[in-house]
Amino acid sequence: MKIRNFVLGACGLAAAAAAVTLAPLQHATAQGPNNDPAQTWDAFGGNQQSQKYSTATQITPDNVKGLKIAWEMHTGDVSSGAHSTTWGATPLFANNTVYTGTPKYNIFAVEPDTGKMKWKYAASGANGPEENQGLKNRGVAYWAASSPTAGACQKMVYIGTMTGELHGVDADSGKPCAGFGKNGVVDVNAWATKNSKWKIGLIQPPAVYKDTLILGWAGNDWVYKTENPGTVYGIDARTGALKWTFNIIPPEMQDQTGTANVWAGISVDPETGLAFLPTSSPSPNYYGGDRLTEMPYATATVAVNAETGEVKWARQLVHHDIWDVDINSAPTLVDIKKDGQVIPALIQANKMGLMIVLNRNTGEPIWPIVERAYPASDIQGEVASKTQPFVPYPEPLVAEHMPPVSTLADIASFGECSRWKARIRDEGRYTPPSVRGSISWPATLGGVEWGGGALDPTTNTYVVNSNLVPQIYSLVPRADADKKYGNALRARDGYAAQQGSAYGFKLENFLNMWGMPCWAPPYGIMSSYDMNSGKLLWRKPVGQVQKWGFYMPESWGSITIGGPAVTKSGLIFIGASMDSRVRAIDLKTGNVLWKHIVDAPAVAQPAVYTYKGKQYVVFAAGGNGILTPRLSDQLVAFALPN
Amino acid sequence: MTQRHSTRGAWLIMLASLITIAICVYDYYTPETGLIGTGGVVTVAGAGALMLAASLTLGLVPNRSGFLQGFLVVSILLDIIGSSVAGYFLESPVIMAAQALALIGWLINVIGDAAERSVEIDEVEDED
Repeated sequence: MKIRNFVLGACGLAAAAAAVTLAPLQHATAQGPNNDPAQTWDAFGGNQQSQKYSTATQITPDNVKGLKIAWEMHTGDVSSGAHSTTWGATPLFANNTVYTGTPKYNIFAVEPDTGKMKWKYAASGANGPEENQGLKNRGVAYWAASSPTAGACQKMVYIGTMTGELHGVDADSGKPCAGFGKNGVVDVNAWATKNSKWKIGLIQPPAVYKDTLILGWAGNDWVYKTENPGTVYGIDARTGALKWTFNIIPPEMQDQTGTANVWAGISVDPETGLAFLPTSSPSPNYYGGDRLTEMPYATATVAVNAETGEVKWARQLVHHDIWDVDINSAPTLVDIKKDGQVIPALIQANKMGLMIVLNRNTGEPIWPIVERAYPASDIQGEVASKTQPFVPYPEPLVAEHMPPVSTLADIASFGECSRWKARIRDEGRYTPPSVRGSISWPATLGGVEWGGGALDPTTNTYVVNSNLVPQIYSLVPRADADKKYGNALRARDGYAAQQGSAYGFKLENFLNMWGMPCWAPPYGIMSSYDMNSGKLLWRKPVGQVQKWGFYMPESWGSITIGGPAVTKSGLIFIGASMDSRVRAIDLKTGNVLWKHIVDAPAVAQPAVYTYKGKQYVVFAAGGNGILTPRLSDQLVAFALPN
Repeated sequence: MTQRHSTRGAWLIMLASLITIAICVYDYYTPETGLIGTGGVVTVAGAGALMLAASLTLGLVPNRSGFLQGFLVVSILLDIIGSSVAGYFLESPVIMAAQALALIGWLINVIGDAAERSVEIDEVEDED
């Protein structure tokens, strides 16, 4: 291994840029050939509880090696360069159909056993300029009327656009539902008028509870001080009418800040009707001197009534966030079995690499959350929170301090890594951004990314992939920023303007002159926990870094974006890694049992379903420019041969 | 000063380099390989092309200087080692197998050349 590592360094190749408690059956019914509604995949997180779990048992640890491509299709919706696509869709299986959305705002409905297209819907007029964050999509949402009436659109598929439109389409025909909004389109952007700097981006499909859609949006919170304040909308699934709005930013703060929006998935407890919202950091992300007033719903998990938007409880997980460590994944709901009791809980693994487990009815921690002291800011006007919530147990996914400088990268760069680290601020987790540069550990890449974790609710085994990536945060005094960058909102060197505040911001990856990571591997891991006891069962590197085609050692792992799915038969399926491979991993041991190359990193969680007695695992291999430049439009299903 | 050198094994090296180039072209254009459009396979293909040129010289120019012979033998060996390492990290068994083939060709050539040298020395000694 030493020889291998030496060769890697010498060649300069290493780089990393780098239910049993099931969904409510009224939404999960799939009549016809599939007799087990539990083996559908009708929500982004597999079910409403975001467990990403399938009861399917046909594919097992013993036979998974025989998995072959059953079908694949190419949507045609891929582009690179200035208009590059980011496709992190989890395909849905409902209504005996596989549905997916694309980053060019098309919905594809395909036959689940052949991949043959049933219909395609083009969200016309929405392929416009990417004034927000480019061409992005994480798929579609599916709704079936709880009390069906005669006529079309009793089952609908929804897709959002990056220009703030939500389209509702008949799930059988692909025709727009005339009764939904205006001819099948709701202009959500028209509701977001306060401090509107850009059109809101509907990357993430809405969550569905009974006849209500719960919709968040994605923003652009690095470029302005005041931006669209984070709002979550409750929308009538049938008509598109606005039922309720939840404001994350208090009204009195909306002229000083913005965002704190919900851009990741949302979980719903079908029994209590509570929706769990992971909220993000307020704008501007890295300087909080203009927003020192407490905003308890920002960077928090908030439980609201899914049908009214009324807040039941909120738990802030990062105080006064100046690191952009959004709560970025839908919490996974779990019924913890402890001391003969069943405790309704949720798991919120976050970018800071903490495993926060809360009673989902009350917001109270299952295992203690302590307030730990962290360093003060040295920036004039900034007041970093003196303490931050910390969860010592279950064992955090990320250590308190970053790994040591990589000897290999340091030697290969003639000491560049260690010299760089010596001149910047590094006091471990929650080191505040500074003018000279601060190590953010973990940084905006996580910890845990938006894929979140997956749960086998029969054993309460929870698995989650996470990144081990420090980045360097520098604040740029306004005068210097104006001099160097003028009116630019962003620059290629990682600069973001944070216009209107006293500081611009610069994000740098901690890489040496050859692009090698300046810190010791691994770069990405997967962890497994017994959620009844909170005990860490195993932790292993996941994926492989691939640069210029060369694969780095498996022990290094990979940065991952996207999450896992688990099956009752004891398998974890995951794409997510830089090497464009999808994998099956043994849930008990963490050993990789099968892997297969797809066209690009499958940066979403896969869908697992059973149709006509056959189990399929489907990946959208879309890629993500954060990982590698390799992008694709491939939707690929795997199954065992007949 | 030129001397007659062995051409044995050159065709095996040539075959190995052609296999290397062919698999690299295939990898570069085929998504299923995981190597589509990557610089790694371009580099190995380039190394294959150099090996092809060297093996052609080895096979077609038997009368060559000692310097050229030494240069070719060392270059081909370095090419084989580099391509093998690259093939390992590209996780391409075909590239590695091709390098094994090239190594066999290289050994045949080096041993054959040494044998020819030995015969020539013996003949000179007999004449004495």
